[in-house]
Amino acid sequence: MKPNYLLSNQFKKIGWILFIPSMILGLLFVIFQFQPEFLDMKVFAILESGIAPWETNQGFCVITQTNLADEIIGILLIISLFFIAFSKEKNEDEFISKIRLESLLWATYINYAVLILAILFVYGGSAFWVLVYNIFTILLFFIIRFNWVIRKTRKLAKDEK
Amino acid sequence: MKNSIRVERAIKKITQEDLSRLVQVSRQTINAIESEKYVPSTLLSLKISKIFEKNVNDIFQLEESDWKES
Repeated sequence: MKPNYLLSNQFKKIGWILFIPSMILGLLFVIFQFQPEFLDMKVFAILESGIAPWETNQGFCVITQTNLADEIIGILLIISLFFIAFSKEKNEDEFISKIRLESLLWATYINYAVLILAILFVYGGSAFWVLVYNIFTILLFFIIRFNWVIRKTRKLAKDEK
Repeated sequence: MKNSIRVERAIKKITQEDLSRLVQVSRQTINAIESEKYVPSTLLSLKISKIFEKNVNDIFQLEESDWKES
């Protein structure tokens, strides 16, 4: 058998277990600026600057002060969404792989369509947040589309007996 | 592409579920092939034919429209 580059089925459950608390922390961070003090620390930075990389006060390979909440939440969200998106179905086969690839293409189209609209119509600080959300939306769109189609085909198969 | 899986199943008196287990795919896959929403790989076509003890050509047939698709 050729490899299909997917994680084993158990990772789906691990993904959901990680995703729910990460999502809650993410919302706390966005809504209430959740940044507990014990996460204030000095870290190594390859690049540090203002919003734009050409702004002054930039440093290369420096030690800087930060709160690690956003780093941790961001990485947890990416990893958990990855686990949910790219672990095998219990009955992964060629038809499901086809749905998977189609959904990935679909998610990429939708993601960039939404991004283009946001670039055109969102300005100021919100534009920065659009880019932040965009880190996760491609995986989210994929997960929603893939599971919706899988559920639909499963239902069709079940109705016919 | 047309196929006569539904007929063959009826002759052999097996369900979609049974067939899916015999050829090691999901039930959705058999359902999608029967309702001509999915064209199976050569490998899966060969397996299905083997279960019904027929040639691939006896179960899967090209249609005129298969030639017009780009």
